[in-house]
Amino acid sequence: MADSTYDVVVVGAGAGGGTMARVLAGKGIKVALLEAGPMIDPQKDFKTHKWPHDYGHRAAEPSGKAYFGTGTAFGFFTTVSGGWQLEGEPYTSAPGTSFDWFRSRVVGGRTNHYGRMSFRFSEIDLKPYSRDGIGWDWPISYEDIAPWYDRAEEYIGVTGTVEGIPSAPDGKFHEPPRPKVHELLMREAGKKLGVPFIANRRAVITRSINGRQACHYCGQCGRGCLTESNYSASQVDIFPAMKTGNVTLFTEAMVREVEVDANGLARGVVYIDKNARTEKRVLGRAVVLSASSCETARLMLNSRSKAFPDGIANGSGLVGRYLMDTVGFSLRGTLPALENLPRYDTDGFGGAHLYAPWWLWDGHDKLDFPRGYHIEMGGGFSMPGPGGFGREARAAGYGKELKRMVREQYGCGIGLSGRGEMIPNNQSYMDLDPDVVDRWGIPVPRFHFSFSDYEWKQARHMERTFRDLIEAAGGKVLGIGNLAREREGIAVPGSIIHEVGTVRMGSSPQSSVLNEYCQAHEVRNLFVADGSTFVSNPDKNPTLTINALSWRTAEYLAEELRKGNV
Amino acid sequence: MSSANGFVSIDNLSRRDAVRRIALALTAAGLGRGIDSASAAEVHEEIEGERTFRGEYTVKYFNEHEFRTLERLSELIVPADEGGPSGRDAGAPEFIDLLSSQNSELARIFSGGILWLDNASDERHGKRFAEAAEPEQTALLDALVDAERHDTADDTNWDTREYRRFEVFGVKSPSDARRGLNFFAWTRKMVVDAYYTSPAGIKDIGFMGNASHTEYEVPQEAIDYAFGRSPFRDA
Repeated sequence: MADSTYDVVVVGAGAGGGTMARVLAGKGIKVALLEAGPMIDPQKDFKTHKWPHDYGHRAAEPSGKAYFGTGTAFGFFTTVSGGWQLEGEPYTSAPGTSFDWFRSRVVGGRTNHYGRMSFRFSEIDLKPYSRDGIGWDWPISYEDIAPWYDRAEEYIGVTGTVEGIPSAPDGKFHEPPRPKVHELLMREAGKKLGVPFIANRRAVITRSINGRQACHYCGQCGRGCLTESNYSASQVDIFPAMKTGNVTLFTEAMVREVEVDANGLARGVVYIDKNARTEKRVLGRAVVLSASSCETARLMLNSRSKAFPDGIANGSGLVGRYLMDTVGFSLRGTLPALENLPRYDTDGFGGAHLYAPWWLWDGHDKLDFPRGYHIEMGGGFSMPGPGGFGREARAAGYGKELKRMVREQYGCGIGLSGRGEMIPNNQSYMDLDPDVVDRWGIPVPRFHFSFSDYEWKQARHMERTFRDLIEAAGGKVLGIGNLAREREGIAVPGSIIHEVGTVRMGSSPQSSVLNEYCQAHEVRNLFVADGSTFVSNPDKNPTLTINALSWRTAEYLAEELRKGNV
Repeated sequence: MSSANGFVSIDNLSRRDAVRRIALALTAAGLGRGIDSASAAEVHEEIEGERTFRGEYTVKYFNEHEFRTLERLSELIVPADEGGPSGRDAGAPEFIDLLSSQNSELARIFSGGILWLDNASDERHGKRFAEAAEPEQTALLDALVDAERHDTADDTNWDTREYRRFEVFGVKSPSDARRGLNFFAWTRKMVVDAYYTSPAGIKDIGFMGNASHTEYEVPQEAIDYAFGRSPFRDA
C-alpha cells in the first residue's frame, strides 16, 4: 500500500498542533494530524456537572486510589488522559536529578484540563538578556507577536481588564466575572503591601462567540466543558478544523522519527500504529512538530540520518538543551473573617477571578533574584470531595462539635501560589537514555535538572509575600500548599507542567535550532509549534503564547507553501 | 450476608498467593464468583452503576458485626443534629464497604481496626464496641482523640525555618489507644467524606455550586460580613 501524502504532517494534537491544523485547513491545505492517544468525546468523557455521590466511590476513585495518592492527577473529575507516569512509557533521570514529565495523550492534549491562565509575554519578557544580562533574548519583539496574540485571543476568548501594566500587556478581552469575597480581602491586603490584584485572564468566554455558549459559571473547567465555553484545542481548534474536510486525523499514532530525503529535507514521519503495533508512514511537503516540548525534542533526537547523525536539524547540538519549568511555591492559610460567611456560589468561571501580575518588574535593585512571578489564588466554598475537612475533623475529634466546626470553617481556606520565571541553565536538559526504550521500541528521554539560586531565592520571596498577604488579611498560615510536591520549599521540576525550551528559536544557527518563524535553520520544511521553541520561560503560563506563535508559524508556512519555497 | 472470607489476609501475602488463596477459599465455600481484583474494567462498571446510599447497596466485604460496628461509628463521628442526618444515614458504612471490597489495604485497616476496637472495648467494659452503651462507646472514642492530641509534633519534614506548626499531627502517645489511631483516622476521614459528599451533607454546609447562571453574582451581604470582621473594616 502506498504511503499517504499530505501537504503538511502535524505531529501532536494539543494547543500548538490544534492551532496549526485549524489555520492551515482553513486555507485549503491538506493536513495529516497525528495524535499519540485516542479521540476525545466530550459527551462521554467529560464529567461536567456530576456530583461525588453519583459514584459509589464518592470521587475517591475505584479502590480508593485518591486516598493513596495514586488516583487521577488533579482529582477524579478532571478530564485528563495521562499523568506523570504512563504505563509502558518510562523516562529516566540522571543520578542526583529529577524531573516529572507530564504527558496527556489524547486529542486536545493538556488543553482539555489545563488551568487556562492566559497571559501575554511582554517586551520585558522577550528581551530579558538586554535588561539584566542573564540568559538570552528572543529573536522576536512584542511588536512581532502582538498581532498574533490579538488573533489568538479573539478566536479563543480570554477574559480580562485593560490595566496598562508593562509586565502584563493588555489584550482583546471578554468581560471578567466579579471578584469573590476572599479575593476582595486579598486585594485589600495587596493594597497594603503594594501587590496589585487585577481581573484574571483566562481562556473562558463570557459572551457567545463562534457558536460557543457563554460561560455558565459552574466552575468546572478542569473537567472539560460541554458548552465549549472555555478553550480546548479539541473543541475549539480540531473539531472545527475537521469539518473543513482538509484534516485527516490519525489517533493512537506514536511518531518515532522524521525521515529525510536525499536533499536533507523532511519527507514525512514514521509512526507506530498503537492498535496494530505496526510501523507506518505519513508523507508531506512539510512537517510540523507540536508533540509537546520534551516529546518534540525526543523525536528530533531520535530522527538520525546520514545528514543528521545527532538528530534532525541538530547541528547546533542544542536540541534538548535549556529545559525549563516554572518556579512554583504555595502557602495555605485560613481567614477568620470568613467564618460562618453567608453562603453563595463561589464556583465562578473555574479559577480565581483575580490574580496579581508581577509587580516588581522595575524593582530588581531591591531584590536578590532576577525576573519575577505572578500570584494565583484559591479559596471559596468548593464542592466537598474526598479528603475535605480533615483539618476540622482532627481539631474537633468527632461528634456534634465536628459538624459545628465544619460549618464554621467551610470556605475559610485561602491558597496562594507563585508561578515564576526560571532562568535557562546548562544543567537542565534532556537527552536520550542509552539503555531504555518504551513499549513502542522508541528510545526514551533522560532528564537532567537543576534549579539555581535564582529560583530558590525567588521561591523564598514568594513565601514571605504570601505569608504577609495572608497575615495582612487577619489570617493564619497553615502550611505549604502541596506537601508531596513542594516538600523542599520549591515545586518538583516538571510538576507545574510548564516545561518549555528544548528546541529554541534564535537568530543564529549556532545558538538556536529554529529561526524566528520556528522553522528549523537546517531543514527548511521542518517547523515546530509547541513550548519547545521558547527561549525563556517567563512567569506567564505558556499556552496562549504557544497558540499565538503556532498561528504565526502557520501563516508563514502557508505562504512558503504557496510560493513553492517549501 | 455473605462475605469473602480470606480477603482480610491479602495484605500478608504476595498478590499471586492472595489471588490463589481467594480462589481456593471461594471454591471451598462453593461460591462461583469471587473478587477478581485484576479485572479493573469490571470493577469500574460496577462502581459507576451502584451508588453507596443506604438501602440501595449490597454489602460486599464486611460481615454483619463489622458492618454494624461501622454503622455505630458513623453515627458517633457524624451524629444527626439540627443541620442534618448522621454519617450512617449518609451511606458512610456502604462507602467504606465498597472501597474495602476493592482494596486489601483498606480491608486490613478496617477489619483489624474493628477487632482492635472490640478488644479495647471488652477490656474496658466487658463487651464488644457495638454492644456497649453510648457513654462507654464515647469514652473509648475520647481516649482515641486524647491519644491523637497527645503529641502534636509536625511530621512534614519541611524544615525551611517557618510554619513548623502544621496541623498535620504525628502521634507519640504512650496510651495503648494509639494502636487504634490509624483505624480511627481512616474511619473518621471516610465517614466525614461520605457525609459531606452526600446530598444531606451538601445541604448541611450550604454548598450552592455545581449550578448554571447567566450572570455571576457575589452578594453584598457576604462582602459586608467578611469586611466587617476583617482588618479592613474601615476601608
